[in-house]
Amino acid sequence: VSELSAWRTVGPWDGIASPGHLGISGETGITISPRHDLALAYVITSDKDQAATAELLLQRLGIELPLKPKATSRGDLTLVWSGPSQWLAVSTQAGLSRRLAEALKGRAAITDQSDARAVLVLEGARVRDALAKGCPVDLHPRSFRSGDAAVTAIAGIGVQLWQAEESDALTVAVARSMAGSFWSWLTHSATEFGVEVLAPAKP
Amino acid sequence: MSFRLASGGRIDRSRPLQFIFDGKSYSGFHGDTLASALLANGVRLVGRSFKYHRPRSILSAGSEEPNALVELRQGARREPNTRATTIELYDGLEASSQNRWPSLGFDLLSLTRPLVPFMGAGFYYKTFMWPKRFWEKLYEPLIRRAAGLGRAAGAADPDTYEKAYAFCDVLVIGGGAAGIAAALAAGRSGARVILCDESFEFGGRLVCERREINGEPADMWLASALAELRVLPDVRLMPRTTVFGVYDQGTYGALERVGDHLAEPLPHQPRQRYWQIVAKQAVLASGAIQRPLVFGGNDLPGVMLSAAVRTYLHRYGVAPGRRCVVATTCDDGWRTARDLLDAGVEVVAVVDSRKDLNQALPTGLAGRGPQILLGARVAAAAGGKAVRSVEVIDTSGRIRSLSCDLVAMSNGWNPVIHLTTHLGGKPVWDEARAAFLPPANLPQGLTVAGAAAGDFDLADAIRQGGAMGAAAASRCGFDARPLPKVSTDPEFSTASPIWNPPVVKGKAFVDFQNDVTASDVALAHREGFRSVEHLKRYTTLGMATDQGKTSNLAGHAMMASLRGESIAATGTTIFRPPYTPVAIGALAGHHRGRDFRPIRLTPSHEWAREQGAVFVEAGLWLRAQYFPQAGDRDWLDAVIREVDAVRSAVGVCDVSTLGKIDIQGADAAEFLERVYINGWKKLAVGKARYGLMLREDGFVMDDGTTSRLGEAHFVMTTTTANAVRVMQHLEFCHQALWPHLDVRMVSVTEQWAQFSIAGPHSRDVLRRVVDPGHDISNEAFPYLTARAITVGGGVEARLFRISFSGELAYELAVPAAFGDAAIRALMAAGAPYGIRPYGTEALGVMRIEKGHVAGNELNGQTTARDLGLERMMSRKKDFIGRLTAERPALLDASRPRFVGFRPVDRAQRLRAGAHFVASGRAATAENDEGFMTSVAYSPTLKHWIGLGLLQRGPERIGERLRYVDPLRDTAFDVEVCAPAFVDPNEERLRV
Repeated sequence: VSELSAWRTVGPWDGIASPGHLGISGETGITISPRHDLALAYVITSDKDQAATAELLLQRLGIELPLKPKATSRGDLTLVWSGPSQWLAVSTQAGLSRRLAEALKGRAAITDQSDARAVLVLEGARVRDALAKGCPVDLHPRSFRSGDAAVTAIAGIGVQLWQAEESDALTVAVARSMAGSFWSWLTHSATEFGVEVLAPAKP
Repeated sequence: MSFRLASGGRIDRSRPLQFIFDGKSYSGFHGDTLASALLANGVRLVGRSFKYHRPRSILSAGSEEPNALVELRQGARREPNTRATTIELYDGLEASSQNRWPSLGFDLLSLTRPLVPFMGAGFYYKTFMWPKRFWEKLYEPLIRRAAGLGRAAGAADPDTYEKAYAFCDVLVIGGGAAGIAAALAAGRSGARVILCDESFEFGGRLVCERREINGEPADMWLASALAELRVLPDVRLMPRTTVFGVYDQGTYGALERVGDHLAEPLPHQPRQRYWQIVAKQAVLASGAIQRPLVFGGNDLPGVMLSAAVRTYLHRYGVAPGRRCVVATTCDDGWRTARDLLDAGVEVVAVVDSRKDLNQALPTGLAGRGPQILLGARVAAAAGGKAVRSVEVIDTSGRIRSLSCDLVAMSNGWNPVIHLTTHLGGKPVWDEARAAFLPPANLPQGLTVAGAAAGDFDLADAIRQGGAMGAAAASRCGFDARPLPKVSTDPEFSTASPIWNPPVVKGKAFVDFQNDVTASDVALAHREGFRSVEHLKRYTTLGMATDQGKTSNLAGHAMMASLRGESIAATGTTIFRPPYTPVAIGALAGHHRGRDFRPIRLTPSHEWAREQGAVFVEAGLWLRAQYFPQAGDRDWLDAVIREVDAVRSAVGVCDVSTLGKIDIQGADAAEFLERVYINGWKKLAVGKARYGLMLREDGFVMDDGTTSRLGEAHFVMTTTTANAVRVMQHLEFCHQALWPHLDVRMVSVTEQWAQFSIAGPHSRDVLRRVVDPGHDISNEAFPYLTARAITVGGGVEARLFRISFSGELAYELAVPAAFGDAAIRALMAAGAPYGIRPYGTEALGVMRIEKGHVAGNELNGQTTARDLGLERMMSRKKDFIGRLTAERPALLDASRPRFVGFRPVDRAQRLRAGAHFVASGRAATAENDEGFMTSVAYSPTLKHWIGLGLLQRGPERIGERLRYVDPLRDTAFDVEVCAPAFVDPNEERLRV
């Protein structure tokens, strides 16, 4: 899409997350990677179509559909449980909605949400300590591990949170319009640990 | 004059600290509290009491302190009513006494003391009743000046606060011997443990006493236990953290004082952090608070709790006096006497109310100075700003006076059971231990160990703590074992508390912080306030910020005796959170100022900001309200310009805030049929329609346009205000009412940036933005068309030909990332046509000109019929609210209904909220016939217009009414008209 377009895109973190160091100098407890390179889509099915949806995803895309608050990954694609019969699909490849719609043959409703969410990937030894300042989910490694996902609220902002399979990083997705308020909370909460903000990842 | 002992204490004498109290410089040491440092400097007078302005000093050494309340810090950081006993000394600390004027030593209001006999309980109620008009002007200001304690800073707090969540298997509340044992036993098993203690040093009484464990100083046991806890990976030690409340399902509120022990918090750190701790199990090891004795003058500086005296000796290396009388009713006093003597302080006498006591207690005291007075009681203390002597009455009734500067008193211990009652449990009186013990119905998952459970011996505390910590961890699935048994030095803890003061000379205080005396309790009894709850409210016993930690039981026991009943029968009040005061700032945390709540920004926000837009809050959203320009007299100039642009040329407005819900599924149309009052099944693909939905009670819920993008694919719009509510409503309808319908819904509000392009030139502008190949001519893209297109060279977009302004208009939706590009492209494309951005004000003006209903009319009290929309209600189908909308009262012909208004004198300004009465009738509530919901100055008509709800409104078009605005004291004639003021035949929409 954007290759053809003369219109410039503005990512949700543009003008909000400037690359550089925040907080205590000489320490980096948290590294924040703003992600403007992700295609997002909502996958919604019904009780009736769920089994068929899961089977098609496995057959055609080789990915397991998580039936609990989990996040599964295969190649560039991650499926994050978002509620009963609902998933957030995340990919670094453009055209995600089309790919899913073709694979699922009408068994699930696909809605492009690529611009609806502002996504950050958080890494570092103090990520959980910073998130604890607003996240009412127990993120202790015993309780929230790689492959786990949660739908919650942080600082009054709805958040989807997951730790991808075989990853130490936590990914948070918030409503695009609230990116500024979320950033204010996150940086306020994280600066005591030292924060490195990376340049937004572009497609 | 230093009262610092030559050696000892846990202070760091290599780190002296300077501090200022009431403008005077003093020094203390790292590890001191303000209280210990003041005592070390011989400063005893630290404040004046609440009601009588009596000189007060330091009663305790902990958070129960009712007397030593000071203002800490200066300027914006000033904190009133801070307990000197809990303030950790830091270099440069500044504190001042409060509730005194002009100075602490000479307080004018204390001169009211001769009036004191008249100022007992209920004084205010009785005295300031008449004349009534004096209350606000005279009595209340006077009382407020005289009473009350410290002064709030009155400036914005420059520090930050945080909230945080923590989770654990076992929460241990209190880091004394029992708590440490519990944490160790649980932590060793691998359980996740949090150990909180309100002090900056763990150990509880262990650091305040000279004790032995397993034949070694207790400090060795403590140090090794703490060292082990520190290295256990899943044990979190939280000093300076008070667990202040218990809530449902194992949730505990705690306040961590992160930076209170510093002049200013460290960079990037908060002053305080409010924790919500979710614990599967909890062990309460909160210890006990020593009870004062009630005797005349027991509030004089120098009268102190006996255990506090030991705390000052052992923890801080301070002798709180030079000549001490120990007054006790329990074994505890004897330990104080011995420790004072060992520290070189003269003990004048040990006065024990008991005649028979364990012979081990006085052993070794003989020959070291103190008189041993058994069966004797202190009747009164005398002195001015400090105690000088006490009168002791012995068994024979003989009174003797003993000179002293310190009275160490003990009337036994109250287990700190506050947290056990926060969920409603009633404390249980235990006669043998002479104390209220935790209720049988403890909060779920909570057990109580050590002194908090009424077991005051150290060996018991360690044994119980270990056992309960282990049991708690076991219940969480860990293989936990109790700690090995320990031995301690011999200990004696029997008590025979006395509740009734002997013959009282002077005021005998029960509640120090609220100045409640023994005679107040007696007065309450005489006047019939005999239940503990009435006693509390009549005398204010236990209602100060200390929640009666040192006073409640004394008052209740006294009342029991006056009633001739047992303490158990008389009962006690229960405690509420917080255990100690919590700053509102800590509860707010990050959420103040701009972060009070989340702010939502539209995709064109940055562009609008560049244009100098004035923004308005719409729910969480910030929307451009209008776009001022140089030379504007006021906002109305801008709004008129924006409306004129739309009506005569073209305007553009960001409408991304409207709720957008993607609805797919084989039954999507059927679903819409059921939630909207109008029909949807026949809506063609590629068409939009206005829809109205009702609540279950038949009142209007929301409106908006919904478009059919495919056979089984719709996109619904909602009002900005109701976006979330409508989504919830639809989810409820699907999940609870019609789960069998195949409908899949998700909000796409955030995905799309949406702009209204309105005005006669809107099509011309769009033609320059929409990619070639998409025919948007009137023929190919008529009114109410909704179609996917591309813009800007391949950007996937949706174009809706809908209008809120009444002009030829479109809404263009592009993915939010293109929102900024879209507004810039539209403005560039529109420049030749004189395009202007317009804000919510102009939007509102134009909808009023068109007579469209909006939030002011969709107020939850209007039906479709009230709003003139009854013809939309389909008779061919069922829908939510259909039956309830036809309830007789809602069909009543006299209900206010939606109409327009214009002033007869067109120069008059209309105001929303004004009421209508028939011409010639008085402006009274009985004559009220309706009210104005929305008004605007119409740039099109050049006068004010209004919309409103009027009884039988539609039948009264053309009638003149009286417009009455009592708030602004205006009244004039208005004319009822149809609500559509501009283009009533809707011709402009379709061109």
